[in-house]
Amino acid sequence: MNALRVLFVGGVTSYRALFNWISPWVFFPHMIGYPVFEILFFAYLGRFAGVESDEFFLIGNAFLAIAVTGMFGMGHAVAGERRSQTLTALLASPASRLALFLGRALPSILTGIVVAAMSFAICSLILGVRLPATTLAALVVVALISSFGATALGLCLGSLGLRGRNVSLFADVIAGSMLLVSGANVPLDRLPGWIRAISSGIPLTHGIQAARGIADGRTIGEVSDLLLTEAGIGAVYLIVGIGLLRLFEFEGRRSATLEAF
Amino acid sequence: MIRAFFSGIRIHVLQFTKNPFDVSGVLLWPILYASIAYYLLDAKNDPSLLLSASLGAAVMLMWSLVVIGSSGALEHQRWQGTLELLVAAPVPFAAVIAPITIASGVVGAYALLATLAWGTLFFEVPLAIEQPLAFVVAIPACVLAIGMLGLIMAATFVFYRAAFALGIAMQYPVWIAAGLLVPLSVLPDWVGPVSWFLAPTWGFRAIQEAALGRTPWPDIAMCLLLSAIYLVAATACLRGFERLARRNGTLQLT
Repeated sequence: MNALRVLFVGGVTSYRALFNWISPWVFFPHMIGYPVFEILFFAYLGRFAGVESDEFFLIGNAFLAIAVTGMFGMGHAVAGERRSQTLTALLASPASRLALFLGRALPSILTGIVVAAMSFAICSLILGVRLPATTLAALVVVALISSFGATALGLCLGSLGLRGRNVSLFADVIAGSMLLVSGANVPLDRLPGWIRAISSGIPLTHGIQAARGIADGRTIGEVSDLLLTEAGIGAVYLIVGIGLLRLFEFEGRRSATLEAF
Repeated sequence: MIRAFFSGIRIHVLQFTKNPFDVSGVLLWPILYASIAYYLLDAKNDPSLLLSASLGAAVMLMWSLVVIGSSGALEHQRWQGTLELLVAAPVPFAAVIAPITIASGVVGAYALLATLAWGTLFFEVPLAIEQPLAFVVAIPACVLAIGMLGLIMAATFVFYRAAFALGIAMQYPVWIAAGLLVPLSVLPDWVGPVSWFLAPTWGFRAIQEAALGRTPWPDIAMCLLLSAIYLVAATACLRGFERLARRNGTLQLT
């Protein structure tokens, strides 16, 4: 119960802090501008290359937007505390670490989902992609599962913030690689075998495939194997992330490096 | 002022090359975008298409480094509390900011080497530069023009608290409108006239035309002309925004 309170209060506080720094009227256009132009860029590249449909790139990049915000939000949760010099105070508290850092990441995860949904709607209109209204509920379910996997990967990255100085570097490299490796922008059958092997072990790949299946008229039951795989991969990253968080906190305390910049 | 300008370029190039975040960006991003283009285009019958994709990906990174570098640099000055000192210094503010944007472009020029090497080694992209002299002239012309466009962006960033976020958001629109990886012929008609005002359009064309043995010199001239126009506009903007920020006491934005 206390962990839930920490998670909720921490999330609300960090969201309020965010909008104390920047107005929502400025924040959301920024947030939406990037994924909208990213979707358009790859959709037009696909048209030029004569590969796949606009729908392929629309779904791939909208899901990527969800994943990246979850990953960055979680990845920066620890680094942000370190930068504002509150990390040691937080770690001295008895609160659940997962609740603490997940609470800080939740606002960006929720923002990511809202932003991706809005980008999806805007780009659907621009590109003339029409999806049946009946598919939307299923797409939301797939989006939530994909976001879980990406956030779990973000937890692994965030835990590195207890040891490493520059988590942004890892997060940026991984987010960039996902443009290619997750199959968001290149059909998996066009990629070499070693990239496909990596694709099968990262969050998002199966989520995107499931979403494309639903957009093509399959039911959520028909893509359940993909969703289970996506959730399973997320669960593995979550367990690894929690383990790394504990390990690096222990090591940080032992070697007194928690505030090392 | 000239000494401050060239010292600034040297210092900022050194800073960029010491920062692992920037170095990883220079190494990874152009290769990544070029790879996506290679896998999508699959143009074994038209090697010039892949060479153009390599060059486009490199110019994309140049623009990214310039726009993110200029926005990030101002934000860092603001966090460190040195922005007021720079504004108060007798050296014109433009001479302090321009080296940041040009240094970003210089570092971005490394992306050309990265993408060409990557394409040649792994995707059989032919490394045949038809007009080497024009190619060597086109690169600094492109860097200068993109750097000057970055200077205009930096002028607005002085006024803006979310400068870094805006810098990040400005990447894709310019990549699209300049036709760097996606030809303008695929885009809506109204994008064409917009592209004429963007330095990356002419910088990319100059490098591409030189590499493919066409007519790069008019594009190089356009880069130089645009650089001069950008410099005048950016200096005027910087002066105006600086005066406004001083008058309103909003330079620090805290």
